[in-house]
Amino acid sequence: MSDSSNFNKDSIQNVIVIALVVCLFCAIVVAGSAVALKERRVENKALDKSKNVLIAAGLFEEGVTKVEDINTLFARFEPRVVDLRTKQLLSEAEVATVEQQLEISFLDYDQRKAAKDPALSSALTDLEDIASINRREHYSLIYLLRSESGIDRIVLPVHGYGLWSTLYGFLALEADGNTVSGITFYEHAETAGLGGEVDNPAWKAKWPGKQIYADHGGVAMRVIKGAVDPNAAESVHQVDGLSGATLTSNGVSNMIAYWLGDDGYGPVLGSISG
Amino acid sequence: MSLRSFMDGLEPHFHKGGKYERYYAIYEMVDTIFYTPGKVTVGQSHVRDAVDMKRVMTTVWWCAFFPMLAGMYMVGHNAIEATLALGAPPLEGLRGTVVSLIAGYNPDSIWHCLVYGAVFYVPIYAVTFVVGGIWEVLFAVKRGHEVNEGFFVTSILFSLTLPATIPLWQVALGISFGVVVGKEIFGGTGKNFLNPALTGRAFLYFAYPAQISGDAVWTAVDGYSGATALGLAAAGGVESVMAEGITWMDAFLGNIQGSVGEVSTLAIFIGGAILITTRVASWRIMAGVMLGMMLTSTLFNLIGSDSNPMFAMTWQWHLVLGGFAFGMVYMATDPVSAAMTDTGRWSYGILIGVMCVLIRVVNPAFPEGMMLAILFANLFAPLFDWSVVRANVRRRLARV
Amino acid sequence: MSNVKEILLNPIFNNNPIGLQILGICSALAVTTQMSVAAVMCIALTVVCAFSNFFISLIRARIPSSIRIIVQMTIIASLVIVVDQILGAVAYDISKQLTVFVGLIITNCIVMGRAEAFAMQNPPGLSFLDGLGNGLGYSAVLMSVAAIREFFGSGSLFGVEVLPLVTQGGWYTPMGLMLLPPSAFFIIGLLIWALRAWKKDQVEAPEYQIGQHTAMSHS
Repeated sequence: MSDSSNFNKDSIQNVIVIALVVCLFCAIVVAGSAVALKERRVENKALDKSKNVLIAAGLFEEGVTKVEDINTLFARFEPRVVDLRTKQLLSEAEVATVEQQLEISFLDYDQRKAAKDPALSSALTDLEDIASINRREHYSLIYLLRSESGIDRIVLPVHGYGLWSTLYGFLALEADGNTVSGITFYEHAETAGLGGEVDNPAWKAKWPGKQIYADHGGVAMRVIKGAVDPNAAESVHQVDGLSGATLTSNGVSNMIAYWLGDDGYGPVLGSISG
Repeated sequence: MSLRSFMDGLEPHFHKGGKYERYYAIYEMVDTIFYTPGKVTVGQSHVRDAVDMKRVMTTVWWCAFFPMLAGMYMVGHNAIEATLALGAPPLEGLRGTVVSLIAGYNPDSIWHCLVYGAVFYVPIYAVTFVVGGIWEVLFAVKRGHEVNEGFFVTSILFSLTLPATIPLWQVALGISFGVVVGKEIFGGTGKNFLNPALTGRAFLYFAYPAQISGDAVWTAVDGYSGATALGLAAAGGVESVMAEGITWMDAFLGNIQGSVGEVSTLAIFIGGAILITTRVASWRIMAGVMLGMMLTSTLFNLIGSDSNPMFAMTWQWHLVLGGFAFGMVYMATDPVSAAMTDTGRWSYGILIGVMCVLIRVVNPAFPEGMMLAILFANLFAPLFDWSVVRANVRRRLARV
Repeated sequence: MSNVKEILLNPIFNNNPIGLQILGICSALAVTTQMSVAAVMCIALTVVCAFSNFFISLIRARIPSSIRIIVQMTIIASLVIVVDQILGAVAYDISKQLTVFVGLIITNCIVMGRAEAFAMQNPPGLSFLDGLGNGLGYSAVLMSVAAIREFFGSGSLFGVEVLPLVTQGGWYTPMGLMLLPPSAFFIIGLLIWALRAWKKDQVEAPEYQIGQHTAMSHS
């Protein structure tokens, strides 16, 4: 710096100039990177979600399915909006009305955020709130896998409180809206080795084929304490408990009871599977 | 040549400048097994009694035999009954050989039950003693301090806090952690601020929860599943304990599932009575723990709760279930990690009692709170002492 | 040139920001359960530390002392946001696991400390190297901790199975404690112990000496 001999860096002018220049420069860099990378970030987020839907439906194998295939596979799913207040599967026209009214788009609908937003969710009473989630979103995005013969799979987003944290995941059902075809959790903070075993593939493999509803109606699916006795009449509705993690197991049971019950997707499933 | 003169003849080799200078700790250890050390206290320390560290520690060690024997009997008794009920095959391997050689599978025979319990407990204690002992000697040699008798106590207490079915390699890891991280890192016995036995147990509790908690580990029979009485209480209150056919007297005598040493409150109290009479353990700490527990549990009884059955559990039940009594008598009174001043001991004890009930009643994850309560209070013991000393200094300054 | 080498390599063992100065511990606890996640965190911090040092040093003669901390913070924060954006775009899975901890690099004492202690007095080239060196020092500790935690806690390294787990039909019982944050405390403590056993000059002087209370009796 040639003028350093008579340059006073602590002068008021310099403080203002430096503050302005640094702020301006940093703002440009930050804004520039945010704008330039936004598309990629949104894409990644969507890809991540698609992947979890595929995992629940049993169409994604870690290390086998390629990332490029996720979009192709996911394109076979038809996202549908469920109004959890009226228990109706919304038609395209109704979706458009809702989007207009609430100024949201279901293309980038963040269901977890919505569940906390007073405008998009409602508080549950203690009696209703068996899954301990406090508030429930008004709209839920579910995914239907179509094949020539009609609906093949139904993938439902579910969440509920375990021991330490809320578990977020997807539950996939067969076309009958009763038989489980898979379950996966993409976020939780349960104790590793105990409740954290909800991520164990061996445990998740116990789910497919189980029946959610009892013959006389009502959710019968439960994670029990200990191992399932295969000869018991109820075994088709039961999954082995996570050993040493009674509260996480109960949390999963409650989650199923809530989301597949009359307060959750129960009535909608009837209308989908006919 | 007498042993004394033989030892004396060896001694110079282990002194400074001697051939085996580094191994003085080992010489000292062997020497003091046979003879009282010739060292006397000098300088500014207080001598209050003729009792020394060795006698204190040995008393605790012997007193721990009461819950140990009762625990082994109960482990055996429960396991044999479960075997008969399940129609399970008898024990296999070395354990099975020992049991069939010197005893059998009769649940009414005290000897049979004791032997069955012993084939599970004795290996645990042996592993604890050998592995922990190796660490002790290693550090003594390296750091130049003496092997301390305190390890006798640490080892037996640690092994008594474990379920009978715990894998032996986990025992080895647990006591290693307890001795090294709980004690030696800070300079050995006297400078540790946590109870080493409980530090080791806490390590196992968080490292391998499946083998130290839950339903499958308490009865030494494969495939038998049953929660501890405290676990039952956490799930459904005292009613569900009673529903399993467990009376208060069962719990008091020890006829319940649990870690080896914690089950029989009666045996623990016998040991505790000796510890108090010989003044080895502080009655103030025990009284404080008891008081804190009674106050807090009564408070919860009064508040009541619709959804949490533990609120309704009375202090009598808190006393006999889980590790409360064992912790109160043997763990909280560890002279190194507890408070040293009389007022400090009261506060320290009360804090343990309060925290134990708080964790048992309010925490959703841990049915038992005694271990964590004691470790928590260990951290506060120096603060209590400091405050007591400060208050004393202030009081006396005011008189000047 | 030995000066350059010293600035770059000293922070790795001789003057490690975590090992000797005990800075930046918080993120070390949070992101070290998996090596791949820890590696991304290390890269992020090293990049931020090196470039913030560089930019701050570049304008150091013009930064008024009254607002120097704010100026440093603005530069560091901008870099962190940019890094966070890039991670979200190129390594989404890992950035999701890092959650807030990339953002928290802003408050990481190492970055701030080097900016204030080194970059404000030294030319840009050297400052860049200093930032790089401290980032590497941080990374050395973080990666060691993560290696131990992932190996014993999940039986794998960089997600590749090394010890087959009992829960998946193998023989290794994973040590659950390793997946809990306190284990990082123990491991860092043990690493510092090992480091100081090796480099004795890092040992602090004892605060007091306990006197002898016993002596041989003369009976």
